[in-house]
Amino acid sequence: MSVPHISAFYFGAIALVLIGLYAILVKKNILKMLIGLSIMETGVNLLLVSIGYISGRSAPILSEGIGPNQAVDPIPQALVLTAIVIGVATTAMALSAVIVLYKRYGTLNIEEIRRLRG
Amino acid sequence: MNGQYASLLIALPLLGAFFVPLIKGLGKKAIKTYVLIITAIQTGIAAWVFQEVYSTGKPIIVIAGGWKPPVGINLYLGYFASLFVLIVALASFLMAVFNFKAIDVEPIDKYAMLFLLLMLGATGMIATGDIFNLFVFMEITAITAYALTAYNKTGEAAEASLKYMILGGIGSSFFLIGVALIYGATGTLNMAQIAQLAGHINPTVAQVGLALIIFGLAVEAELFPLNAWAPDAYQAAPHPVTAMFSAFVVKAGLYAMARVLYLMSSVGTWHNVLRLLVVMATLTVVVAEFSALRQRNVKRMIAYSSISQVGLIALAFALGTQAGVDAGVFQMVNHAIVKVLLFLGVGYVAVQLGGAEIENFRGLGRRMPVTAFGITVGAMAAVGIPLFNIFWSKLRIILATIEVGYTWAAFLVLAASVVEAVYYFRLIHAIWFEGEGERISESVPLMAIVVLLVVLVIAIGVYPNYLWSVSQKAGSDIFNVAQYIKNVPLMGVGA
Repeated sequence: MSVPHISAFYFGAIALVLIGLYAILVKKNILKMLIGLSIMETGVNLLLVSIGYISGRSAPILSEGIGPNQAVDPIPQALVLTAIVIGVATTAMALSAVIVLYKRYGTLNIEEIRRLRG
Repeated sequence: MNGQYASLLIALPLLGAFFVPLIKGLGKKAIKTYVLIITAIQTGIAAWVFQEVYSTGKPIIVIAGGWKPPVGINLYLGYFASLFVLIVALASFLMAVFNFKAIDVEPIDKYAMLFLLLMLGATGMIATGDIFNLFVFMEITAITAYALTAYNKTGEAAEASLKYMILGGIGSSFFLIGVALIYGATGTLNMAQIAQLAGHINPTVAQVGLALIIFGLAVEAELFPLNAWAPDAYQAAPHPVTAMFSAFVVKAGLYAMARVLYLMSSVGTWHNVLRLLVVMATLTVVVAEFSALRQRNVKRMIAYSSISQVGLIALAFALGTQAGVDAGVFQMVNHAIVKVLLFLGVGYVAVQLGGAEIENFRGLGRRMPVTAFGITVGAMAAVGIPLFNIFWSKLRIILATIEVGYTWAAFLVLAASVVEAVYYFRLIHAIWFEGEGERISESVPLMAIVVLLVVLVIAIGVYPNYLWSVSQKAGSDIFNVAQYIKNVPLMGVGA
C-alpha cells in the first residue's frame, strides 16, 4: 500500500495557514478576515493532527486486533478537539462583535471603521 | 493544610462564575456584592498559598485527578506563581470594589461572569505546568478579554474588540503551531519534561517553535509590533477591566513568555531568540512612549505608558541573566501596583466628570483632591522618580541591561523615560495648576483603596529591600530551570 510521505500533510497544513494569513492581512471586509482566521485555525489543527499521525496505523480506539502499537498518537487528537472548541467560541464572539459594529457604523469595510486612532 | 487545596484557586472563580445566573434575580447590587465576596475569598486562598510557599520554601504542586505528570496535568505554585496569583486576586478584589461605582451598563450578570473568568484565566496561566493547558487558559483569558472590551456596546468598543480578536486569533494560531512543533520534537506537553528534553532536540526546530510561541504570547504581552489592539482596548473597555488588563492580563502573558523561554534555555540556538526579544522589547518601549506623548485622552495615554513599561519588563526577561529576571519580576510587581492606582484614579475621574480627556483633569486638584493626589503619586512613580517604587526596578533593569552589554538598549530606554516624564508632568500640571471648579465629594471605599496604594508605592520606594528579596526568589523560580525540573514529580514514562 502506498501512503503519501508524511511531509505532504505538513505542506497542506502550512498552506492553509498561509492562505488564512493572506486573507486576514489583505482583505478589507471584516467577514472575509474572519473567514481567513477560521481557515488559519483549520490549518493549525491539521498540522497538530498530522504531527501525531503515523502512517498505516488506525484510530486510537482500543478494539479487537488494535493495541497501543497499532494506533496513532491520541494526544494531538485530543488537543485538536480542544482547539476546535476554542476556535468556535472565538468565531462566535467575533461574529457577534461584527453585528454590533455593523449596527453602529453601517459598513463592514475595515478602512472605514476607524474611529479609534492616535 | 493540604497543598491540594490550592486547586481552589482555579475551581473557585469557575464555580463562582457558574452560579452568577442564580444571583441574578436578587438585583444588580447583589451581583456586585457576590463578585466582591468571591474575589475576597480568592484573595484569602492566594494569601494562604503565598504564606505557605514562602515559609516552607517548597512549591505547592497540585496533581489533577491523581495522575502524575507528565500523564496528568499539574499546577505549579512556586515562588513566582504564588506571588502573582496573590497580585491577580488582590487586583481583582480592588476592582470588584470599583465595580460598584464604574459599572452601570446592563447586563451586569454577564459582566460579573466574565470578570471572574478573566481572573481565572490569568491565575491559570500563571499556575499551570503544562504547555497546552497554558494555551487553554490563555484562550480563556483572551476570549473573556475580547468580550469585556466590547462590553460597553458602543461602536468604538466593538471596533477595539475586533482588532484585539483578529490579532489574538493570529497569535493563538502561532502559539499552537509552536506547541505542535515542540510536541512533535519532544513527545510531551509537560513543561518540566520539555525542559528536561530541550537539550536533545534539533536546535532549528526548537528555535522556530520557541519563536512562534513567543510571537503568539507577544499579543497578550503587548509587544511591538503585535500591540496595535492594546491602546484601543484599554480605552474602550470598562474602567475596572482596563486596570485588570494592565495589572495582570499582560503580566500573565509576560510570565508565560519568560517561563517558556527559560525552559528551552539548554537549546543551542537559544540566544538568537533572546536577541529577537530584546529588539522587540526595546522597540516597544520607544514606540509606546512617543505615541503616549501625542494623546489627548488620559486613559489612552496611560495605556501607552503601560505598554512601554511592559516592554521594559520583556527587555529584562530577554537578557538571559539572573539579575535581569529578578529585576523584571520586581518591575512586574511595582507596575501592577502603580497601574491599578492610575487606572483606578483616571477611571473614577471619567465616571464622575464624564470623560477621560485631558480637559477633564484641569483643576482636579481642587475638585477631587484625594483622587488627584493618587494620580499624581502614580504618575511620578511611573516616571521613575526616586523614593517611588518604580525607580528601583527601572534602575535594576538598566543596570542588568548594561551588564549584559546591550548599552544601546539601556540608552534608548533612558531616552524614552525622558519622553515619559514630559507627558506625565503635563498631566500633573493640568491637575494642579490649571482650571477651577467646585469640590466633588469622593467615594470613601475608593479613596481608602487609593490611599492604601499610595502608601504601598511610597513604602516600597523608601524601603525596597523586602519586596526585592521576594522578587529575587520569584525570579530564581523562573531562571533556575534545573530546580523546576527537580520539583515536579515526573513519572518515568515517555522520555
